[in-house]
Amino acid sequence: MRRSIPVSVSKLMPPRGFLFTFGLSITLVVLFLAAFGELIAPYDPREATTAIGAPPPPLLEWPNLLFRQLSGQLETAPHWFGTDFYGLDVFSRVISAPRTDVSIALGGALFSLLLGTALGLIAGFFRNWLTGLLVRTSDVLQSFPVFITAMVLVALSGRHTGNIIFALCLVYTPIFLRLTRAEVMGQSRRGYVEAARAAGVPPWTIAVRHVLPNSLVPALIQLSVTIGFAIILTAGLSFVGAGVRPPTPEWGLMISQGAGDLNYGWWWPSVFPGLAISLTVLGFASLGHVLEEQFR
Amino acid sequence: MIRYVAMRLGIAVLQLMALAVVVFFLIRLMPADPVARLVGLNASADAYAQSERALGLDKSVGEQFIAFLGFGEGRGLLQGDLGRSWVTGEPVAAELMRSLPITVEVVSLALFVSLLIAIPVGLIGAARPNGLVDRGAFMWGLFAGAQPDYWWGLLFILIFAFTLGIAPAPLGRMDPLIIPPDPITGLVLIDSLVQGRLDIFVSALHYLALPVLTMVFTVSGAIVKMIRQNTARALNSDYVLYARACGLSERATARYALRAALTPTVTLIGIFFGILLSAAVTVERVFSLNGVGQYSVRAILDFDYPAIQGAVLAVAMVALLVYLLMDIAHAALDPRIRE
Repeated sequence: MRRSIPVSVSKLMPPRGFLFTFGLSITLVVLFLAAFGELIAPYDPREATTAIGAPPPPLLEWPNLLFRQLSGQLETAPHWFGTDFYGLDVFSRVISAPRTDVSIALGGALFSLLLGTALGLIAGFFRNWLTGLLVRTSDVLQSFPVFITAMVLVALSGRHTGNIIFALCLVYTPIFLRLTRAEVMGQSRRGYVEAARAAGVPPWTIAVRHVLPNSLVPALIQLSVTIGFAIILTAGLSFVGAGVRPPTPEWGLMISQGAGDLNYGWWWPSVFPGLAISLTVLGFASLGHVLEEQFR
Repeated sequence: MIRYVAMRLGIAVLQLMALAVVVFFLIRLMPADPVARLVGLNASADAYAQSERALGLDKSVGEQFIAFLGFGEGRGLLQGDLGRSWVTGEPVAAELMRSLPITVEVVSLALFVSLLIAIPVGLIGAARPNGLVDRGAFMWGLFAGAQPDYWWGLLFILIFAFTLGIAPAPLGRMDPLIIPPDPITGLVLIDSLVQGRLDIFVSALHYLALPVLTMVFTVSGAIVKMIRQNTARALNSDYVLYARACGLSERATARYALRAALTPTVTLIGIFFGILLSAAVTVERVFSLNGVGQYSVRAILDFDYPAIQGAVLAVAMVALLVYLLMDIAHAALDPRIRE
């Protein structure tokens, strides 16, 4: 049996425009860094160098320095973003951090998407007291103060990557559940569902083979935005001391440690990781916005 | 109306009770060992057992829960007692009475300033779709909504306090050398005014400027977006069309649309108050404000269970109270809600 696809062909063409290019490039760069950031970093992001609090080279010297480094004239790589209080190279740490930040955020968002759509499909398609209870529980979860809940879960269960992903899941699954359930309830009233019922297709097959593919769009759009928020939350957790442990290269941890360096007038240890979060999340948000415009 | 309020109040109390129960069991489900955190890892088994008894953790979870609720011999939640902090030994309720007003003050001020900016911008955006203001506000919302507040707080400190020198260093909510006014409400801006201490009032405004700016910066874009949507929906509605068709002046039409557009905004205030309460955790950290956000961070990292329970309940209570007030205001403005 063929699946019905409500999305018109024109919508499947890739969207154009500045926001899309911007969002997609940032996303690709960040994903690349999550995979290879630590390998291409000029210094070990966990190993202190002898330079303490070295400022970044002036912007005007960057082209010259870059040329000399690439042609092998420099014995040691320049500290592009300076070094922090412990002598750690800020640039190496900033580009190694996506390994932690982005994989946690991606993991949390993807698990929430899977769990949320599955539960949303069940809650929307099979409406009885059990699924009603599920929706109520998810409402209660959604009314918790997000940041404090995540802090409690991570700090009390141990500050490990897996536990942070679990906390993100608990915080974001209700959003996907609600979105998918609403869409499934709309789709279930459509003619094709009735037709499938009349043809004697079992309910579970209708739900999974026919309703689910047609109800995925809102959740998929939400995914991009959620990854962005999850990055802010992950970094925020380590900023207050309830996330990953030092000396893991992680943006929130770097901002928190760099905050103390502001007293010496060293702005670079906290400004560059923040810039990285800011650009990354903006990239995911732009992509999410473009997808929303395209498919709504 | 009274029935509506009573019903909402009842629901809020039930929600709070449910939350208390969930939090109590949630933190005890976690594999954390608060006794080891308190006595240290090298403590003897004796010291450990003694500490466990002192905290009441030697009893079963069921007995702990009964004691927490206040059905046992001591006082508990039902008598309004949140227990004593395991770290400071002080009553949690008293500590919260000190920290909660600080958070409420910053958050309310930030929300007030955000609305002052967002309402006119949202209205102009809706009146001229795709105009300069509208597109600017859209880009702003997309940008600012994706920003980590803790980083912008630091940037503002770097710019306004350390470089330009026009804002004070982030040392709390007023000049540390000033003796704080006697707490009446706990809100320093109101207390200083009531006691006629203009110097404290000015100092507090000065110190609260940057934390408020940080919150306004990250949240106002989203508020603009929602106000714009509500207004645009009202302007496109049938009753505005009808008003126009009846030949009412643009001014009279706008007045009808405005009332319909701003009524749902009242509900938004509640939602954004909740969002800002969550943001307060990181913002307070940046500006060394000893609000409930900092308090909960301290409690959570110390495994201080009574303090965690108290902080979560306090935050939820404030949020629910604001929701309730806003819903009542909404119902007063829009009779359809009361049905």
